[in-house]
Amino acid sequence: MMTKNRPVFLDLTQLSFPIPAIMSVGHRASGILMVLAIPFLVYMLDLSLSGAEGFATAQSVFSGWFAKLLMFVLLWALLHHLLAGIRYLLIDFDIFVDKEMGTLSAKAVMVAAPILALFIEVLL
Amino acid sequence: MKFSIFRFNPDTDTTPRMQEYEVEVSRGMMLRDALMEIKRQDESFSFRHSCGEGVCGSDGVNANGRNVLGCITQVADLKEPIVVRPMPGRPVIRDLVVDMSQFYQQYRAVKPYLIRKDSLPEQEILQSPEQRDKLDGLYECIMCGCCSTSCPSFWWNPDKFHGPQALLQAWRFLADSRDQATDERLDALEGPYKLFRCHTIMNCVDVCPKNLNPTKAIGHIKELMLKHAI
Repeated sequence: MMTKNRPVFLDLTQLSFPIPAIMSVGHRASGILMVLAIPFLVYMLDLSLSGAEGFATAQSVFSGWFAKLLMFVLLWALLHHLLAGIRYLLIDFDIFVDKEMGTLSAKAVMVAAPILALFIEVLL
Repeated sequence: MKFSIFRFNPDTDTTPRMQEYEVEVSRGMMLRDALMEIKRQDESFSFRHSCGEGVCGSDGVNANGRNVLGCITQVADLKEPIVVRPMPGRPVIRDLVVDMSQFYQQYRAVKPYLIRKDSLPEQEILQSPEQRDKLDGLYECIMCGCCSTSCPSFWWNPDKFHGPQALLQAWRFLADSRDQATDERLDALEGPYKLFRCHTIMNCVDVCPKNLNPTKAIGHIKELMLKHAI
C-alpha cells in the first residue's frame, strides 16, 4: 500500500435518490416512529380502559390539535409502512421488479398513504 | 456551461475540494468529451476512460448525484451546473479515479466462470436457444460499478455484501445450463450478508447504463434457494 490518504465521497445530501429509494427510507423511518409511539399509545389505551374518568381524560387528550397532528403522523406512518410492505412482498413474488413499475408503485405508496391517513382521520 | 468537479490530489491535498470549470458545449457532446476538455484546460485533472462508447465501463462517475457512464451521457441532458464527483463509497485515489478493489473481490467471490464436474467434451457444450435466452440481460454487464456504488447495502457493508454487480453474475452462472455447481454456488451465498443484505431498494436498476436488472436476478437466486430447500 502506497498511501492511506484516500477520502471517500459519501455525502448523502449531494446524491439524488430515485423515488423507490425515498420510499424505502420512509419505510424504515415509519417503522422506527411506530415502535417509539408504542409506550404512549399503550399508556393511552390503559388510561381509557381504567374507567369512565380515565376514558374522559384520554378523550380530552386526543381532542387537542397537537394530539390530532400526532395521530395523523402515526396513521400516515402505519399506512406507509403497510403499503410499502405489501409492495416489497410483491417484489419478492417478482411483481413490479423493473424500473417503470418499481417507480410507479413507489409513487403510488407515497401518494396513497397520506391521503388514506387524512381520510381516516376525518372519518374518525 | 459550468462544471463543478471533485478534485483531490493525494500528494498535496488533505481533503477534497470542488473546482469550477467553464466548457463550451457542442451539439451531441457527451460528459466524457466535457471531462476531456477540462483535462485540456487543466492537465492535473484525472479521470478514467477508454472506449468512449459504453462498452469498456471505465468512466463511471457521479454526475449531479447520479451514477452514469460519462461516454453515453449527453451533457445537454444534465442540469447546469454539472457537478461531477467520484462514484460514492469508494476510496478516492485521485480526482475521479476510485479504488475498485473491493468491488472486484466481491466479483471474484461468486466464481464468475463455468464450473464443470463432467470431463470436458471434445466439442463445445451445446445449448438450446431457450437455454441461451436465459443469459440475456445477464451477460451484458460491463462491470462499470454504477450499480454497486449506488447501493446503500454496499455502501455500509462493501466487505460482506456481494453487491448487485456480483450477484447479477452469480445468477448468470446459476442460470447457465452448462454450469454444474448450482449447490455449491447456492451454499456459498447463504448467511445474512452476501446475498440477503439486498433490501430491494432498486437503486441498481435505476442507474444501470446497460438497463440490466440486478434486483430481478437476486430475486431469482432467492427463488432457486427456496426450491432447493424444499
